[in-house]
Amino acid sequence: MSEQKAYDLVVIGGGPGGYVCAIRAAQLGMKVACVEKRGTLGGTCLNIGCIPSKALLQASEKFEEANHSLAKFGVKLGKVSLDLPTMLEHKDSVVDSNVKGIEFLFKKNKIDWLKGAGRITAPGTVEVDGESVSAKNIVIATGSTHVDLPGLDVDEERIVSSTGALTLEKVPKHLVVIGGGYIGLEMGSVWQRLGAKVTVVEFLDRIVPGMDGEIAKTFQRVLKKQGMTFKLATKVTGAKTKRSGVTLTMEPAKGGEAENLDCDVVLVAVGRKPYVEGLGLEEVGVELDERGRVKVDGSYRTNVEGIHAIGDVIPGPMLAHKAEEEGAALAEILAGQPGHVNYDTVPGIVYTWPEVASVGKTEEELKEAGVEYRVGKFPFTANGRARAMNSTDGMVKILADKATDRILGAHILGPEAGTLIHEVVVAMEFGGSAEDLARSFHGHPTLNEAVKEAALAVHGRPLHI
Amino acid sequence: MKELSCQLLVIGAGPGGYVCAIRAGQLGLDTVVVEAARPGGVCLTVGCIPSKALIHVAEEYAKAAAAAASGTPFGLHAPPPELDLAQAVSWKEGIVERLTLGVAQLLKRAGVKSVAGWARFRDGKTVEVETATGPQVIRAENVVIATGSTPVELPALPFGGKVISSSEALKLTRPPERLVVVGAGYIGLELGTAFAKLGSRVTVVEAEDRILPQWDRELTRPVAKRLETLGVEIILRAKARRLSSDATALVVETAEGEERRLPADQVLVTVGRRPLVEGWGLEELDLDRDGPFLRIDGQCRTSMRGVYAIGDVTGEPMLAHRAMAQGHMVAEILADKPRAWDTRAIPAVCFTDPEVVCVGLSPEEARATGREIRLGQFPFSANGRAMTLGADAGGSDAGFVRVVARADNHLVLGVQAVGPGVSELSAAFILAIEMGARLEDIAGTIHAHPTQSEAFPEAALKALGQGLHV
Ligand SMILES: Cc1cc2nc3c(=O)[nH]c(=O)nc-3n(C[C@H](O)[C@H](O)[C@H](O)COP(=O)(O)OP(=O)(O)OC[C@H]3O[C@@H](n4cnc5c(N)ncnc54)[C@H](O)[C@@H]3O)c2cc1C
Ligand SMILES: Cc1cc2nc3c(=O)[nH]c(=O)nc-3n(C[C@H](O)[C@H](O)[C@H](O)COP(=O)(O)OP(=O)(O)OC[C@H]3O[C@@H](n4cnc5c(N)ncnc54)[C@H](O)[C@@H]3O)c2cc1C
Repeated sequence: MSEQKAYDLVVIGGGPGGYVCAIRAAQLGMKVACVEKRGTLGGTCLNIGCIPSKALLQASEKFEEANHSLAKFGVKLGKVSLDLPTMLEHKDSVVDSNVKGIEFLFKKNKIDWLKGAGRITAPGTVEVDGESVSAKNIVIATGSTHVDLPGLDVDEERIVSSTGALTLEKVPKHLVVIGGGYIGLEMGSVWQRLGAKVTVVEFLDRIVPGMDGEIAKTFQRVLKKQGMTFKLATKVTGAKTKRSGVTLTMEPAKGGEAENLDCDVVLVAVGRKPYVEGLGLEEVGVELDERGRVKVDGSYRTNVEGIHAIGDVIPGPMLAHKAEEEGAALAEILAGQPGHVNYDTVPGIVYTWPEVASVGKTEEELKEAGVEYRVGKFPFTANGRARAMNSTDGMVKILADKATDRILGAHILGPEAGTLIHEVVVAMEFGGSAEDLARSFHGHPTLNEAVKEAALAVHGRPLHI
Repeated sequence: MKELSCQLLVIGAGPGGYVCAIRAGQLGLDTVVVEAARPGGVCLTVGCIPSKALIHVAEEYAKAAAAAASGTPFGLHAPPPELDLAQAVSWKEGIVERLTLGVAQLLKRAGVKSVAGWARFRDGKTVEVETATGPQVIRAENVVIATGSTPVELPALPFGGKVISSSEALKLTRPPERLVVVGAGYIGLELGTAFAKLGSRVTVVEAEDRILPQWDRELTRPVAKRLETLGVEIILRAKARRLSSDATALVVETAEGEERRLPADQVLVTVGRRPLVEGWGLEELDLDRDGPFLRIDGQCRTSMRGVYAIGDVTGEPMLAHRAMAQGHMVAEILADKPRAWDTRAIPAVCFTDPEVVCVGLSPEEARATGREIRLGQFPFSANGRAMTLGADAGGSDAGFVRVVARADNHLVLGVQAVGPGVSELSAAFILAIEMGARLEDIAGTIHAHPTQSEAFPEAALKALGQGLHV
């Protein structure tokens, strides 16, 4: 038997958590391997998540814009036609260049990509397709997969997960999205812009659970204006697939009369769950919590010495940048440095148009925690740049501690919200106050000025409203 | 003659003046503002806002035209677009109308009295206004001069006829076939780019040896590249001499000292702006000057007691957000709050294609302080969001974020960026500098994925020698 290869670090999973951890560890001088069973690196995010979904959102937005919003300011366009296969190819090529980029970074940092499914056979040993390697430290970064709904079998054609929704061969006439979370709303927006009628069915009585209630309500109103239909407080109980489409049965969440809904494609987007299949965690004794997530301490250690976990597979928001930060922090911890992630300032973004972005606490969370706070709001209708862009839906909302003025949360619905939020993220990272935001320069005319005005409004003295 | 007295009199309701008046009103000062034209000043009526509206139209039109000509990578096929610039201009006028009315309402709501007419000082405490209903005298405890600026005129090319300033350019209802722009500063390039996109053949004449001469070459290179692909001809180290005798061309003197005729249907002169210091009685006050500007101290006081000055009339950078910040500060000073000018970072944003942002010190300025510095630069070509926006092509010409920091303690001294949409990244840069961030602070702040904002921590990581995605 040939000598077993030995590494300082073996990372299982090549998603944003895993690949960032591998690169940072290699930079810090470790000998690193990353196990990935998919044919490409980059994980959910680059292959079937953030990047392809954003590529389609961008392209479909152009289509929408060309058909609807240009005439108002004198740019007149005939009928714009859609070549869906080319649009999907464009998305694939964006994915392709992204995943190749990670492969290049691995080479540059001398990280071995062990292709195949990894299994932890003992602390310090990982088996990849029958071959064992040894590792001083092992990182579980196997990510997550979509949650199924009982009674609905995902075939990725008629009944699809987000992955199938990225590759529909033709624009459905009627798409039903089950689940009013951000993935469902993003993919729903894509197909609606390309011509589908979209109905969102959600169990709760509101969309995007966890988002600030006022923002979520306004967001729903804006989506409705764009033509999206909502069936809230509704439970899907089953589906019948026919050649012509799917018939869903549903009933009020509180119980009541059942009804049917016909459509040609159903997107099941009811959440994601940690993925640990085939990893051998039971055998080595790695503990999971009640929701199947790998239990870790503040330094990402599991209960088994030398085994760590990061990203979607552990508790916390299932977001790529959270996984990345954990990956970098863990690599630094393993190198003896003080790696750290500040979970109070993880931004979240919904890439619809307008976008929604938030960081920190919502009004509901503050009320529940009994924190006294002040609210400052500013609508984009009063922002010059938003007017010049013809995109005035939405607002900025800032929550600050009543006594200290420290910023506790910010919620933005509006053009480029995902970009605007970062100013507040930086401010919160520094423990900044609403007054700090209000007194910093903001270039004119920019959308950023709406953030400044909302900060002024915290003290009841906005200038432009 | 009608007489009025107040605690604070503001002359000019541009962004400097109206913000000062609103803030003073909020703080309970008895305030009057005088404006000869529309509230909102240059900025709302013939500056920032209308220019950005026109730029937006031009951008959308150009995208549609490019899509029609060569298809899109996204698989959208469109017939060639038609442009109705007159409609675009009236759409833009609608925006200006709403915003200026909005300012008038805001002033009213803050309890500020507005007087329409041209103001003239009698002395440091008394002003006479020519209103539609006759002269009005206003006596004030304190006066703020916020009279702004006007375009610089070239003696050999007086405004009128074919020779226009930015104000007239924003009103053209048809793109001129051939447009010559004199001056490659931000106003000239913003408008020149817009007209090139709307279909004009544009030539830009600049006396210096590069475009946007106040910024470094590396930063402005992507803009120069884009102008080239738009077919804009740039003639550097050349001087505009005169209109040809038949008025069909601009005659310029090239670097080689030769005269060259540039056929033109319209000549847009954007060689800078100068403070408006005539016609309102500066001679009655005899205020100290700083070159052409009014001299002010760290609290915007002029050399005369009780007379303040803010905005473009007080010097560079002549930008709306500087005027607003000064106005805000002066109102608070007059309400007895302890305030002084203490900003580390005034952003400069240029809405060309791609956009350019400068905050704090450039590498050159930082080196000039005698300290060792570190630079970190991250290209948008390696940014996932830029790729999904189709904004990653062309290597470094796709733009980048650059961080300038001290080598010893990593304090961030400046941030520059060039690329599509970078104007909206600027607030995060400014805040980082205002809060005294070190490179590690930026690198350690979670930036959402996938966004263009990620280029900021990546640039900081690069400066630390730890680049992740490049
Ligand atoms: C449609 C969609 C859109 C999204 N949009 C965004 C967004 O805009 N912004 C955002 O922040 N997040 C977004 N997300 C979430 C984001 O994709 C995840 O949070 C992120 O990918 C988690 O990273 P990770 O490294 O923990 O795991 P993953 O990216 O899931 O990577 C885990 C990898 O491990 C591999 N693996 C698993 N088990 C094994 C094994 N035993 N051996 C070898 N390899 C294994 C898998 O093949 C996978 O490639 C989106 C997700 C979806 C589905
Ligand atoms: C085309 C163009 C684009 C621009 N784009 C930008 C940009 O993107 N970002 C940016 O920050 N800046 C931009 N600027 C500059 C910006 O417009 C100015 O910096 C800003 O308007 C200065 O504000 P202010 O209050 O000092 O003066 P002004 O806006 O000039 O206002 C002065 C006001 O005072 C009035 N006034 C003067 N004298 C009297 C008197 N005696 N009596 C009564 N009223 C009087 C005038 O009518 C005027 O309304 C741009 C300028 C132009 C021309």
